[in-house]
Amino acid sequence: MDSKNEGKQRYYKPRAEVALDIEDMENFVYDMSRCIKCKGCTWVDHTYMPGAKFMTRCPSATMYEYDAYGAYGKMRIAHGMAEGKVEWNDKALEIMYACTLCGACDVGCKRNLDLEVELTLESIRVKAVKDGVGPLPAHKKIAENVKKTGNMFGSSKKRTEWIPADAKPADKADVLYFVGCTASYTNHEIAQSTAKIFKAAKVNYMLLKDESCCGNAIFSSGMVDEAREIAKKNVEAMKKSGAKKLVTACAEGYRMWKVDYPKLLNIATADLGFEVLHLVEFVDELVKNGSLKMKKEFNTRMVYHDACSLSRLSEPWTPWEGKRGWMGCVEPRLKRRRGTNGVYEQPRDILKAIPGVDLVSLPRERENAYCCGAGRGTKEAFPEFAKWNANHRLEEIRDAGAETLVTACPMCKNNFAQNVKENGNDMQVMDISEVICSAIES
Amino acid sequence: MAISKEVYKVFESIVGDYYVSNDPVICESYRSGPGGYENGTGYERVMTTIPGCVIMPRTTEEVQKIVKVCYKNDIPYVPYSTGFYGPKSHPHVEDALLIDLKRMNDFYLDEKHYYVEVGPGMIYSPIQEEAMRHGAYVVIGGGGAQASAIANLIGDGWSPLSHRIGLPHRRILGTELVLPDGELLKLGSLANSDDPFWGECPGPDLRGILRGYTGVRGCLGIVTRMAIKTLPFQPERLQPTGISPNTVLAFPEKRVKWINYVVPSKEAQVKAMYEIGKAEIGGAVTKVPLFWRSIAKAEDKEHFWEMWGKENEKTVANFFIVRVLLIGYTSEEQLEYDEAVLADIMSEVGGEARPTKPSDESWIKNADSAGMWLMCGDYVSVDYVIETLSQATEHGPTYAELKKKYTPPLMPDYGDPGWFQSFELGHQGYSEFLIYWDHDDDTDPVDQFYLDTSIMNINHRFYTSLLGPHQPMYLTGPQYGPNYHEYFLKVKDEFDPKWMSHPPVPLAHDVLIERSPWLKKMKYWETPDDLPK
Ligand SMILES: Cc1cc2nc3c(=O)[nH]c(=O)nc-3n(C[C@H](O)[C@@H](O)[C@@H](O)COP(=O)(O)OP(=O)(O)OC[C@H]3O[C@@H](n4cnc5c(N)ncnc54)[C@H](O)[C@@H]3O)c2cc1C
Ligand code: SF4
Ligand code: SF4
Repeated sequence: MDSKNEGKQRYYKPRAEVALDIEDMENFVYDMSRCIKCKGCTWVDHTYMPGAKFMTRCPSATMYEYDAYGAYGKMRIAHGMAEGKVEWNDKALEIMYACTLCGACDVGCKRNLDLEVELTLESIRVKAVKDGVGPLPAHKKIAENVKKTGNMFGSSKKRTEWIPADAKPADKADVLYFVGCTASYTNHEIAQSTAKIFKAAKVNYMLLKDESCCGNAIFSSGMVDEAREIAKKNVEAMKKSGAKKLVTACAEGYRMWKVDYPKLLNIATADLGFEVLHLVEFVDELVKNGSLKMKKEFNTRMVYHDACSLSRLSEPWTPWEGKRGWMGCVEPRLKRRRGTNGVYEQPRDILKAIPGVDLVSLPRERENAYCCGAGRGTKEAFPEFAKWNANHRLEEIRDAGAETLVTACPMCKNNFAQNVKENGNDMQVMDISEVICSAIES
Repeated sequence: MAISKEVYKVFESIVGDYYVSNDPVICESYRSGPGGYENGTGYERVMTTIPGCVIMPRTTEEVQKIVKVCYKNDIPYVPYSTGFYGPKSHPHVEDALLIDLKRMNDFYLDEKHYYVEVGPGMIYSPIQEEAMRHGAYVVIGGGGAQASAIANLIGDGWSPLSHRIGLPHRRILGTELVLPDGELLKLGSLANSDDPFWGECPGPDLRGILRGYTGVRGCLGIVTRMAIKTLPFQPERLQPTGISPNTVLAFPEKRVKWINYVVPSKEAQVKAMYEIGKAEIGGAVTKVPLFWRSIAKAEDKEHFWEMWGKENEKTVANFFIVRVLLIGYTSEEQLEYDEAVLADIMSEVGGEARPTKPSDESWIKNADSAGMWLMCGDYVSVDYVIETLSQATEHGPTYAELKKKYTPPLMPDYGDPGWFQSFELGHQGYSEFLIYWDHDDDTDPVDQFYLDTSIMNINHRFYTSLLGPHQPMYLTGPQYGPNYHEYFLKVKDEFDPKWMSHPPVPLAHDVLIERSPWLKKMKYWETPDDLPK
């Protein structure tokens, strides 16, 4: 109970200078201090609120229930840290890391306000690392694996083992397929389907020489220095390849290349020097211009799960720094990323174009979608969290009467598939590359 | 006194280990500020503190057991449904127990008898969705679709949709209240049986005890269940469309319509509202202040100020819009008829219809008060009044005049006199006055403005919502009714002799004045020496 008149200043006075730079949490103290506890970050957009079931979109707040786990709680705790009033402890680490950085809070908040919630949460993790308390052991292990083997699993197998005998990536091509760790090691079916799609559309593609991990879990857990090194190396390799387009079937890898590498390198996505596309964007174009025909029937009642990194988190990055002044207004003008232009329609258009597919909608989709609980290094650190949230989402999917669940991210696929299997359910879980592939195969 | 290990163990035995926590980080996350309703003001800075412990019950029985333990061990506690309502929903004394009711989100809809039963964790937008699916609707308080329906209805409960269905207490059919000492009290028709349809109970009905004008802010116990009346709507779906941030409910055009009319003067606005009510048409009738339009159009904060900077006292003073929601409750023909009646009324008052989007973004399902924080970062709805239409609309200009003295730090709004609308088919008018500022500025004048409006209302003999637990009771009490504050305090003593339920509410504002030199210097009224310290 302190009074301003007693000389104690509880409130952060905004510095004139501010930047969208997650390496300094101070940049986001204004955003934290203007959180109004409306919980728009946790509830589904009220316009789309589906009823008394499936009301929330924040996996962290939904599972753990205490306010601490919603963005409003995390931001209050971090604000207390910025004021020097709150110390890290195990609970604080759990609160900050048992969160998929899925961006649901960011788009929810930005429906009404201009607060940078996602960047705030990222910056808190960078602070955890700088303060020597983060990341978590599971994340350190991934970083070690990547350092030693170039892949997040620490596998000593060849990264290109997935390449089937009849697929011949070119030495040089305009299109470079970035496979990613998961499709290279644990989900060959995704890489192989992608290769088949390229072949069917007569797209010449190459691979990155000595491809290695995109650094997703490393970046997401706050190890920005290590992540920046990976970004530099990968972007340089991509430039050297001469390819004009990077295509990937991994949503998290896509976000890294399109959004977080530019963020780490302090450049705009547009200045990368090449285009970054998810397979669904690439295929959508091919289908619409007639280069790819999906004729084979797939008779199924299907739902599509929006992977966070492909949807609300995927808008391009533009660095920004400037000043915050009166009433919190900033200059120069900042075009905020609100998740409006995420990749939502392309996968749906593709699936709807497949004969026999009955694509049904879910109560929570597009920017309101409920994250599967696995991404951004969360499953590795909190397997129970990933499981709980996958099951929560699966309940919604089952309610929709789905026979086939389709995603465009290997993390989502694996998390769902594992839980479907454990539950003894007969739902089919497929990556969209497999679905496309099945529709083009004769 | 900190909660002892023994008591903590008892709490664990009631709700399970997971659902009670005194971890400092968990407690910090239940801080009221720094942002949001009334935060950053003296009331938050001086009067609130983080809880000593947080507990999350699931059932009424658990709530009863918890407060019994609190009563026995002198542990102050605060009911908390969503916590959106700022400092008033947060502990005012050290080592309090915050009772987070979000897990109590049961929902039951009785389609045939037009009511829902909810727990305090259930918010409005899901209730509206469920109700509309069954051809009914509820009035979502303008403060937000994200508010707990119970917390809203025991304190507020109005919006433009109140045009038709009136005052909040008439929508509360039954209430289950855990008294401060843990006893269970059932009010309204829940007192009789588990069939809340009728609303009334045998003998004296205590439903009003929790409401008054704007509620008692959790100081008379905890509401654990409420039966809320729903109202017949039209059957067609209002389809959610668009992508964030531009999401709206698209109307079935022959059944639901907003029409904005530009009218020549405030008198014409009032007359139109009155006539619309008299004709018994419309689902909502409200004035639209100019800056709401700017908020609706603004892409971001900076865009708002760019637009608002072009306005001036004249443009604000000469902006008269009446926004009317027409609903063909029974048929498309009804909507046609209502529209024709409306056109007649408007031609009488000189109103001109403007093209209006066939959708709703901020009243029917998504009441998004959150957007009002966009421009400045801080915002409160400082006062409201319910009077006759002609009287209610007189209040705004007095606030606008007083506000000049406190601008800055209040937002330069060119003398905007607030918002008003029709209630109860024009039998009543509702007027609300809003203020905006940035809490990085000196907020003392914001506190002073708040208090000054109360003093002004007393001088003008205006009876407004700034009573009871919103203002110093020893200032307002002696002025309104015969010693209303003494009556209130007697009720409080009777219900809560140990003052464990959200202390020192209802005297929080009296205590605030004593602790805040910038407010104390405005004090001219007497308070007893034994105010809670
Ligand atoms: C900017 C703004 C504008 C508003 N405009 C309107 C408006 O136009 N119309 C309208 O109707 N309302 C309006 N309100 C009021 C507001 O919507 C509150 O009524 C609503 O927020 C309360 O619900 P909550 O979930 O936020 O409650 P909480 O924040 O959880 O609690 C509010 C108060 O009620 C107590 N409380 C909570 N739950 C219980 C319970 N179960 N039993 C007993 N006491 C309890 C708390 O201790 C606290 O004192 C406005 C509010 C704001 C902030
Ligand atoms: S939506 Fe934004 S302002 Fe509202 S509680 Fe969440 S983070 Fe805070
Ligand atoms: S990023 Fe996702 S899980 Fe984390 S707080 Fe936001 S909505 Fe919740």
